[in-house]
Amino acid sequence: MKTGNPWIFLTGWLLAWFLTTLPGVASEKMEEPSEAMVRTIAKSLRCAVCQNQSVYESNSDLAKDMLGVIRSKVVAGESEYAIRDYFFQRYGDYIYLEPTTQGSNRLLWIGPFVALLVGALALLAALKKWRRPSSPIAPVTPADHSFKERLQRELKQIES
Amino acid sequence: MEYLWKIVLLAAVLFILGLFASGLGNDSRNIPSPLIGRPASVFHAPALDDGPEISLESFRGRWVLVNFWGSWCVSCRHEHPYLLQLAKNTAKRSDFVMLGVDFKDTREGAKGFLQALGDPGYRQAFDPDQTIAIDWGVYGAPETYLVDPQGVVRYKQVGPLFNGWFEKIALPLMEPKHENR
Repeated sequence: MKTGNPWIFLTGWLLAWFLTTLPGVASEKMEEPSEAMVRTIAKSLRCAVCQNQSVYESNSDLAKDMLGVIRSKVVAGESEYAIRDYFFQRYGDYIYLEPTTQGSNRLLWIGPFVALLVGALALLAALKKWRRPSSPIAPVTPADHSFKERLQRELKQIES
Repeated sequence: MEYLWKIVLLAAVLFILGLFASGLGNDSRNIPSPLIGRPASVFHAPALDDGPEISLESFRGRWVLVNFWGSWCVSCRHEHPYLLQLAKNTAKRSDFVMLGVDFKDTREGAKGFLQALGDPGYRQAFDPDQTIAIDWGVYGAPETYLVDPQGVVRYKQVGPLFNGWFEKIALPLMEPKHENR
């Protein structure tokens, strides 16, 4: 018995193989639960030898070994806070990709908004000042009426 | 009122320019170490030369200069002559000891380095997966820590030690405790 077109068979087999080995499918099945915590911590820490890359994303040797340290601590049952603090104690503020909102760092967070507010208030004051008319239009006085009448009279004289 | 505003504006601009100017001198690779003034992490590590295990605590009571290096590190090559010289000059001091930590390295590589450039003679710990280095907040090589007799980190040198480093930086820290010297 013939098994039909061998190309269809081959394509179908390749497709099945491809689908089962897709990165998403493969990694999620193999990942251990602790690895999610490792990833969360590693993503929040800055690789000390890179300027703006997390430990998780960096390919540097130091970042890989830091990842190893994080992993062994997670497996040992340490809390996320304790592990983050371990690196903070050794590398300081620098190690956090996102600055903490404690201590003098609050100034960093609030500063721009305070500056924005001060700027807006200053702009408002300036706008008010610019809009205020410098010389208000003088009200019509009786003297103006007499002047107008004289003007009309003289104009008629010229015409006639 | 107008005059006051002008002065305030000028002061603000000068302040910001001043901040920029002070930031110019900063090296973004130089991360200030929070470890100064705090107890150094103790470690027990295998020796590079297969000798007995090295423990930091065994040096308690003496000033310890802990030098992190690796045979892969170019600056360590430049630093090495000074380490050789310093080890020789301080060999007679009973209050000072040097210790190397060879990290992220292979034994063969490190031994080759010492053979080619000279062995300063002090003990070398071997830290292939840099757990000690990370524990000490090391992010590059060479980095050198000065630990006091109580085991507290007193100074961190990022980058190679330079000629006269010991007299300029270490001795002033060590002297107040040894006034009779």
